[in-house]
Amino acid sequence: MEKSLFDKYGGFSVVSKIVLDLYDRLLDDDDVGPFFDEIDMARIVDHQTKFVSSLMGGPASYTDDQIRKMHAHLEIHQLHFDKLQSLLRATLADHGVAPEDQDAILAAFEARRNLVTE
Amino acid sequence: MTIAAINEQLLRAIGVGVALLDLQSLRLRFGNDTFRGWFGEIEVGSNLLEQFQDFDVEALRAALAAEGRYTTETTFRLRRRTMTVAMDFNRALDEEEPIAVLVCQNISRIKELESMIDSYSMMVERNTREIKREKEQVEKLLLNMMPRSVYEEYKTFGIVTPRLYDPVSVVCLDFVGFSEMVSAHEPAVIVSELNDIYTAFDRIGEQFGCARIRAVGDLYIGVAGLPDPTDDHAQAAANAAIRFMRYLNQRNGSHPIQWRCRVGIAAGAVVGSVVGVQKYIYDVFGPAVITASQLRYKAEPMTISGNRAVVERLGDAFTAAEAGSITLSDGSEEAVFRIAAEMRAAQER
Repeated sequence: MEKSLFDKYGGFSVVSKIVLDLYDRLLDDDDVGPFFDEIDMARIVDHQTKFVSSLMGGPASYTDDQIRKMHAHLEIHQLHFDKLQSLLRATLADHGVAPEDQDAILAAFEARRNLVTE
Repeated sequence: MTIAAINEQLLRAIGVGVALLDLQSLRLRFGNDTFRGWFGEIEVGSNLLEQFQDFDVEALRAALAAEGRYTTETTFRLRRRTMTVAMDFNRALDEEEPIAVLVCQNISRIKELESMIDSYSMMVERNTREIKREKEQVEKLLLNMMPRSVYEEYKTFGIVTPRLYDPVSVVCLDFVGFSEMVSAHEPAVIVSELNDIYTAFDRIGEQFGCARIRAVGDLYIGVAGLPDPTDDHAQAAANAAIRFMRYLNQRNGSHPIQWRCRVGIAAGAVVGSVVGVQKYIYDVFGPAVITASQLRYKAEPMTISGNRAVVERLGDAFTAAEAGSITLSDGSEEAVFRIAAEMRAAQER
């Protein structure tokens, strides 16, 4: 069986660093950060952990319907999605994820664009 | 630069938040840069602890008075980030004046990591539960195909050693006019009817200790006395066979398609083994299977034929009447008996 990117890059011990780095960048960003203004830290971290794990083929997966429902109450515009996309790519690159693997992860992310944006 | 000035500069710049409080009033006397970065809005001279929600001032005073030390945590928002700071108060003297030294460590990352580990472990636990459930389903499926002891052997060693079971009783059953029935009805109807019947047979077999080994088309084979040897395998097989026919009789009374079977039962030896590598199946082979199959051809519709080895073990709950003979593959003749339930015994039951 082919190894998932989650396993290829060292499993949870490495992915956890990516998650926390992405968490920092999200909160510091003035475009996507405000979405998390009123959200409890534990919930944001939980969300990010599952988000990165599922994109990298780790032990989490969401159905399209779940993703749509989770974001239905948010006004996410193309700009926000693009911003998160570039933050994600930069984070992955800084943690040594190879360009072709970044592409694969970003493609999985892009595939969900229409589920969450207005 | 004096030592005192260097000290003060160091104190201002370190990543730990340091503050000095008046011990009596708990008002802020000094806060270093890190402290001000976190709690910027607190002015020198203001009451620091009013800024923190749910801060237990009494507990702080009591602890400082007794042990001279108090430790707690506080959580607040800095921009949109949830900060958690561990606070450590120590009683001290500043030029004869009693003060409290407050050292604050930023433990937000630890809290974030804890949250992430919680989140991850929940995911892993859920996955583990799912894998366990899937494993149980696979196991259930395999246990439908082979006896548990064979399955255990297969699971442990990856192979199953063919094993001789002697004696067991083999029940071999088919349906009279099956080919005609297949051409007369929709295949889906036949499959659905067979599914009904075999499900009932399996239940009966389970009740009497005569487990189905194979069902191919209209051929149904069950064995009693395998994998655990029993003394009453012949009775178990005959009991199951009689219930098969009672079930069919009952079913025929209320269904348009009439199913009539013929049954052969033979006692003897069989070898049980898993056959195949990719598509494996548990099967039994041997003289008892061949004889039971031949006996079936000798049975009239809705009757049971058995060999002498079965009849000798049946006891008085059954009747057996001689009904000719069959020629075995080695050329020898084997007597055939027609087996039925003893009426009196059946009534008593």
